[in-house]
Amino acid sequence: MTRALIALPVDDTGLSLEELAAGCAVTREWVIERVEAGLLTRTGGSESWIFSSRDLLRARRLHAIERDFEANPELAGLVADLMEELERLRARLRRAGIPME
Amino acid sequence: MEFKDYYQVLGVDRNATADEIKKAFRRLARKYHPDVSKEADAEARMKELNEAFAVLSDPEKRAAYDQVGRGAHAGQEFRPPPGWDAGFEFSGTGFSDAEAAGFSDFFSELFGQHMGRGRAGGAAFRTRGEDHHAKIMLDIEDAYRGARRTISLRVPRVDATGHLAMSEHTLDVQIPKGVYEGRLIRLAGQGSPGAGGPPGDLYLEVQFAPHPRYRAEGRDVYATLPLAPWEAALGAQVQAAVPDGTVEVRIPAGTQSGRKLRLKGRGIPGNGTGGSGDLYLVAEIVLPSAADPKARALYESMARELNFNPRGTHGGRS
Repeated sequence: MTRALIALPVDDTGLSLEELAAGCAVTREWVIERVEAGLLTRTGGSESWIFSSRDLLRARRLHAIERDFEANPELAGLVADLMEELERLRARLRRAGIPME
Repeated sequence: MEFKDYYQVLGVDRNATADEIKKAFRRLARKYHPDVSKEADAEARMKELNEAFAVLSDPEKRAAYDQVGRGAHAGQEFRPPPGWDAGFEFSGTGFSDAEAAGFSDFFSELFGQHMGRGRAGGAAFRTRGEDHHAKIMLDIEDAYRGARRTISLRVPRVDATGHLAMSEHTLDVQIPKGVYEGRLIRLAGQGSPGAGGPPGDLYLEVQFAPHPRYRAEGRDVYATLPLAPWEAALGAQVQAAVPDGTVEVRIPAGTQSGRKLRLKGRGIPGNGTGGSGDLYLVAEIVLPSAADPKARALYESMARELNFNPRGTHGGRS
């Protein structure tokens, strides 16, 4: 049997600015602008540029919304906030045993 | 290979203006956005929309598509004639190569070999391959002990002539324990090949398959614990199946359905960034069927002997 490739949890080490940018096929500047505008968070706090799984998924979502709808970054941020809120509420419904439909 | 009618996908006329195409795409992108859509096939539809828009929103690609597809119908067997693309020059799709890898065979046959070329600006500097993203479905039990999975992906690979072509790529992957839903795991070097530089990485987003008794929230796991009415009422010592084996738990007397018993540290194990989650056993009282004559006699005797009304204003206990 061949040796399996080892998958590493992203959040063990976090992602650098370059890795986050590469992970959503955008430039470093794209990421920096959105962090400075408060649309993306950094896991490592204001000093270090370390990002988590969640940050990468959010950045990809922002990028897709901006592209598909030619949305400005703030509007994409608002949509992403609402989607995250929706996910939280759905999780609460699940927890309470209330079916989704 | 099946012919794809991109005009039909977007629901527009063949003579539609660029503006009409954009409007149709956005309207449908809103409808089929996988995060909000209630349609069952939203994700597949969104892929189709992206593919159609990638072609029809680009004047060169649209012109080439119109020429090659003249008279062809959706679903019809189709091969582009040799040299069909002579005289056209395609630029990027607006989608990354990694996303375009999810498009149909029809798309990659027509436009696939042009991917990775003609990227506007900085092409000489951007030599690292693109990162890819996929989802991986695991069982909650896998998060406790790690798992080995074989995954199959469509990826662009450089062929002998230096062009990118799509190929099926199978990976044997060891998933570490301690992963949970919504977290990413990374396979270094398993993305697109680089042009002179290193290949990109592959990110896998963890999802858990639904389980009849277990569900996870972050690293905390909830497991239903079926109890007989007398075990719940009188208290008992029971064996319960949990994701990492079985546990012996003491059920306090007077346990009602929905009561949670917490087993600290018995959720999904930590893996460096955080401690282990907790395991919650959620009591679920299961009634013996009254189809059994003995059970029926006991129920009837309780109904006669007990002054119990669960809807009563004072809790119904006598």
